[in-house]
Amino acid sequence: MNALHRTGRRRLAGAASILTSLVLVAACGAGGRDEDDGDGGGGASDVGVTEDSIRVGGTFPLTGVAAPGYSEIPTGAQAYFDWVNADGGVNGRTIDFEVKDDGYDPTKTSSLTNELVLKDEVFATVGSLGTPTHSAVVDFLNDEEVPDLFVSSGSLGWGDNPEERPMTFGWQPDYEIEGKIIGQYVADNMPDAKVGLFLQDDDFGADAEKGVRQFLDEQVVEVQRYTSGNTDVGPQIAALQASKPDIVLAFTTPSYTALAQLVSLKLGFKPQWYVSNVGSDPALVGSLLEQFSEGAVAGNASALNGIMSSEYIPGVDAPDNPWVQLWQQVWDEHGTKGELTNYRIYGMSWAYTFVQALQAAGEDLTREGLVDALEQAGGDFEGPNYAPYRYSEDSHLGISGLQLVELKDGKGEPLSEVLTTDIGDAEITEDDSGQFDDAPPEGGIPDVEAND
Amino acid sequence: MQQFVNTVLGGLTLGMVYAAFALALVLIWRSTRIVNFAQAPMAMVTTFIALQIIEAGHSYWLGFAAALLAGLVLGAVVERVLIRPVEGKAEINAVILTLGLFIVIHALAAVIFGNRYRSFPAAFGIRGIEVGDTTIALTGFGIFTIVAVLVVMGLLVLLFRFTDVGLRMRAAAFNQEVARLLGVRVGRMLTLGWALASLVGSLAGLLIAGGSLVHPGYMDSVVVYGFVAAVLGGLDSPGGAVVGGLLLGLSLSLVSGYVGSQLVALAALAILMVVLLLRPQGLFAQGRERRV
Repeated sequence: MNALHRTGRRRLAGAASILTSLVLVAACGAGGRDEDDGDGGGGASDVGVTEDSIRVGGTFPLTGVAAPGYSEIPTGAQAYFDWVNADGGVNGRTIDFEVKDDGYDPTKTSSLTNELVLKDEVFATVGSLGTPTHSAVVDFLNDEEVPDLFVSSGSLGWGDNPEERPMTFGWQPDYEIEGKIIGQYVADNMPDAKVGLFLQDDDFGADAEKGVRQFLDEQVVEVQRYTSGNTDVGPQIAALQASKPDIVLAFTTPSYTALAQLVSLKLGFKPQWYVSNVGSDPALVGSLLEQFSEGAVAGNASALNGIMSSEYIPGVDAPDNPWVQLWQQVWDEHGTKGELTNYRIYGMSWAYTFVQALQAAGEDLTREGLVDALEQAGGDFEGPNYAPYRYSEDSHLGISGLQLVELKDGKGEPLSEVLTTDIGDAEITEDDSGQFDDAPPEGGIPDVEAND
Repeated sequence: MQQFVNTVLGGLTLGMVYAAFALALVLIWRSTRIVNFAQAPMAMVTTFIALQIIEAGHSYWLGFAAALLAGLVLGAVVERVLIRPVEGKAEINAVILTLGLFIVIHALAAVIFGNRYRSFPAAFGIRGIEVGDTTIALTGFGIFTIVAVLVVMGLLVLLFRFTDVGLRMRAAAFNQEVARLLGVRVGRMLTLGWALASLVGSLAGLLIAGGSLVHPGYMDSVVVYGFVAAVLGGLDSPGGAVVGGLLLGLSLSLVSGYVGSQLVALAALAILMVVLLLRPQGLFAQGRERRV
């Protein structure tokens, strides 16, 4: 409905202005704030922390077009927090996780984050999802000095400049290092290949392109960008096809991965594809492609066979991995309805990191203490992540690397070792930290020493 | 060359859908002088009805027919229940009503059908046709789209030109008072006009959904492009609506492929402005008097 008022007829001018005001009213929706200034706990504790509880929150798209998959992330995190709470919590405090539905709409993210901070008085936000959405609140959280941990997005803005945003921490590998790693892989293994890029027209695509171009600037023959919301990607794929690339690197969300595959089928376009980690969940993309007639698209998980992608934590395709076994156990005991999915594992994985951070912050829990603990000790946290975290005073970016895989029947078959790097011109190296091989501790709860 | 051909073909197929949608807008405009913005969510709802039926295991064509029928009924009900009470007042009242309906249907659809992307099957192949060793962007379903819109347009022409009902509908649209004096049941004709328009809108919804992904907002841009196409052709002219739809589909596809996808909506707006400035009556309306 965003473009409805673009009419020229005089007859419709009135309708147009009414529509405009409707949109404005909707945008201002939040209204007044509660002036509830209650003190949170006493002693050496902070807002949202009491003797026996810690209140945290986050914003996620539980409804709307971004909801498929993403809405499962907080259910996974909740299940893991329940698992920890059932064991007595962290330092005797249970974790109380407040989930808000922003529908992937930045105006809502803004009012809901206000609500979390000013009304619910959370100690920290954890896992809040999305680049456009979180961009709307990141400065507010930093101004209010609320720890803003493990944003569910790979944008560089969540940690490349801790001086400007001291409270914000990323978690997953950022899109630039993903671009660098696949870029180097292609440069090394397919030095004569012509490369096409298919990018979302925002930070996601731009960060990735920056990484890719470090290695493939000469090999890139065509760049096409799609606008999220416009589902006709035919002209973009036709333009890619015209440049005859051998491999197309797609930094797309799952719905656009499916659309691109459909249009390619229509155009008879068959390059090798690399699809970014965020856009390649075989279960989700497969379910979108499953419907199509005449077996033109093979059903479900095999729809993405032969496509290259990357992984940075183990997923449901590896049921024998000890971490996945832990997540399965957590989900069986504390999960809501539905199966364990990769999105739920994602939520559990950062929830695990959050518990580690709370442990490192010690018994006298303060916001400042939590941030310090992550900066001092976060780089050594062991978890399901394949490559170590980059947390330090100079960087708040998360996992430092990933493994390239080829999808086959919904499973990722390794194409490379776990490769780690950092933003900028940092070298790409094989990871030797042993993170990939570690297993969860007995009981499935981390045991990190308090940071002094 | 292949890119050009494929971009043009994609544009023409999409243009056909815009044409169908413009046709639906024109039908209502001709009879009631209002633009029905709720056409988009109405078509979305009927498409979701088809999807529910198909996902329940029934055939594609059953879902297709059910959606068209639902469109017919929905159009009639909306006219009778919502538009009739504001009839005879300023037209802006009815237009605002359709905008309200737009928002209400949207919200309800999100609650009932879920607000996420779902795939919608196609009745015919979704692989492009191979000519020699190149594939052109014309699929079986694309051909079906073009044929379906042409057939519907033909049927409408036949209805209006050569049938008694068509004549009465035109009379009711042209001058309600005179038509009433001549014994035409004007109310019924308006209801029929809305029902037919909604049916054509539903067809457009089904055609654009086939072989792609749908969600409750997927028709929103189509109502804008359909409106531009209708203005382009002259809001009064069904033939103009089809040509306008094709022109618009083609232009937008070329803009998207050769300039940038972020400029598509802007290009549609620019076309609308140029038409309104240079030829406000549209490309095909001659401004001549209509005769009944």
